[in-house]
Amino acid sequence: MATYRLPRVLNEVIRSHQDRFIRPVQPKNGVGAFVFPCRKLVFNYCERSGSSKSMMEYLQKEATRFATENPQIEVIVQPRPSKHPIVRAFYANGEQKTKCVRRCSVSEIPEVVKSLRDHSGHKLQRWNRYVISDTPSVRGIYSPFHDKAVYSISDLKTKK
Amino acid sequence: MFSTVTRASSKAGLKLGAVSGSRAALSIGTARKMAKEVPSGRRVVAEPGSTTYAALEARLNLSFGDRAVMEQVCTHKSYAQGRVEHNERMEWIGKRALNLFVGEHLLATYPNLSTEALQDVQHSSFGMSSLAEVGRHFGMQAAMRWEPVSREAPAVGLTKVLGKAVQALVGAIYQRQGEAAARQFVKQHVLSRPVDVEAVMQIKNPKVMLVALTRQKGLEYPVARILKETGRFTSSPVFIVGVFCGTKMVGMGFGSSLKMAEHRAAKDALLKYYAKEIKDIGVTGDEPDVSLFAQDVAV
Repeated sequence: MATYRLPRVLNEVIRSHQDRFIRPVQPKNGVGAFVFPCRKLVFNYCERSGSSKSMMEYLQKEATRFATENPQIEVIVQPRPSKHPIVRAFYANGEQKTKCVRRCSVSEIPEVVKSLRDHSGHKLQRWNRYVISDTPSVRGIYSPFHDKAVYSISDLKTKK
Repeated sequence: MFSTVTRASSKAGLKLGAVSGSRAALSIGTARKMAKEVPSGRRVVAEPGSTTYAALEARLNLSFGDRAVMEQVCTHKSYAQGRVEHNERMEWIGKRALNLFVGEHLLATYPNLSTEALQDVQHSSFGMSSLAEVGRHFGMQAAMRWEPVSREAPAVGLTKVLGKAVQALVGAIYQRQGEAAARQFVKQHVLSRPVDVEAVMQIKNPKVMLVALTRQKGLEYPVARILKETGRFTSSPVFIVGVFCGTKMVGMGFGSSLKMAEHRAAKDALLKYYAKEIKDIGVTGDEPDVSLFAQDVAV
C-alpha cells in the first residue's frame, strides 16, 4: 500500500510544530519584488483537423494581443500535426500544466489561457489544516516573550 | 519582442498579424524548425529559444538596450566550448558587487554580530546555493545555456551554474545601468529573502557564553529564576525561566525541565544581544527608506 507523502511545504510546518522551535520563514514571492510564476505558454494546433478550428481562430484574433499584454511570458505558437489542440504552460518552479481545448469554443479558450497564466505552478495539495502558517499555530503558541507583563524583581518586591 | 522563425511552406498556414514595436515574446514555428522539444515521459523539455530571454528580461522588470545581454548572462563558458559570448567576466564583477551590497546590508542590520558570524551569514544565506534558488525562482534554469559535466547526471553542476548566472545578472546591471540600479535589484530580489542568524551562530554552551558576555558588559552575574511553571511532577511540565542580571531580565526561555528552560533562556539572552536586528536601515548609497513610523518625516 502506497504511503501518503505529505507535500514538502506541509512537512516543514508539521516538523516545526513538532519541534516547537520557530522555524525560519520561507521566502515568499512578492516580498521585495514579484516574479511572475508562469514563464511560457505553448499553443499547439493542427492545421488540418477540425478540433483545432476554434484554437486557430483564437490564435489569429488574440495571440499577438495576449503576448503584448504579457511580455513576461514567452508565448509560442507551434503546429502539432494530427493532434488535438492544447495549451501547455511552463512555470518558474519547473512544473508544467497542459490543457486540451478541443471541446472549447473561441470564447472559452481565453478563460483556459487565463487560468493557466494565473496558476502559481505548485501542484494541487491537500491541506489538512485550517491554516497553513510559518508560525506553529494559528494564534501562536503561548510565548512569554509577547506577554504584556514585564518581569522584574523590583516590581515583585513592591507588590504586597 | 516578436520574432518569427522561418516556416516550412504550408497551404493552410496560420497567419498572425505583425506586432509593431511591442514588448511581446511571441514566436511562431513549424513542427521541425522550432526549438527542439525533447519529450521525456510526460514532460516536455525545450532548449531556450530566441524569445526566452526577452520574456526573462520583462519578468524581472529589466530593460537592457541590447537583446543579446540576457542571452550572454545565461550562457556559461562550458557552452559550445566557450566559443560564444559567455558570462564569466560579468560574473566576476557581479559577484564582487553583490557581495559588497549584501555585506553592507548585513553590517548595518546586525551591529553586534562578529565578523566571522557575518561571513557565515553571508555564505549561508547569500552564497551560491541561495543565489541558485533565486535563479530558480526567476525561472532561469530553463534559459541557461551550458554543458553538464557528465551526460549520465545532467543536473550535476546546475546549482553552481545558476548561482553564477545570477551573479552575472547583477554584474550586467551594474555595468550597463549603474550602481544604483544594481543595488536596487539586489535589494528587491536577494536581500528580501529571510535570513536565519540563529542557525549560523553555534551556541553550544550558552550559559558559559552568557557569563563571559555579562562580564564584558560590566553587568552583574546572571541568575536564572522561574517566572511561571505548570505541571511539575507530571508527564508534561512547562517551566518558563528568566535570566536576570541584577534586577533586569536579559533572556527568557521555556522548557519541560528546569535545565532546558535555563538553557533556552541563556540562549535567548545571547541571541537578543548578538543577533539584534536593526530594521529600516539606510545604507550608504541607498535611497533613504522613508518609513511610516519615522519621526523625521514631515507631515
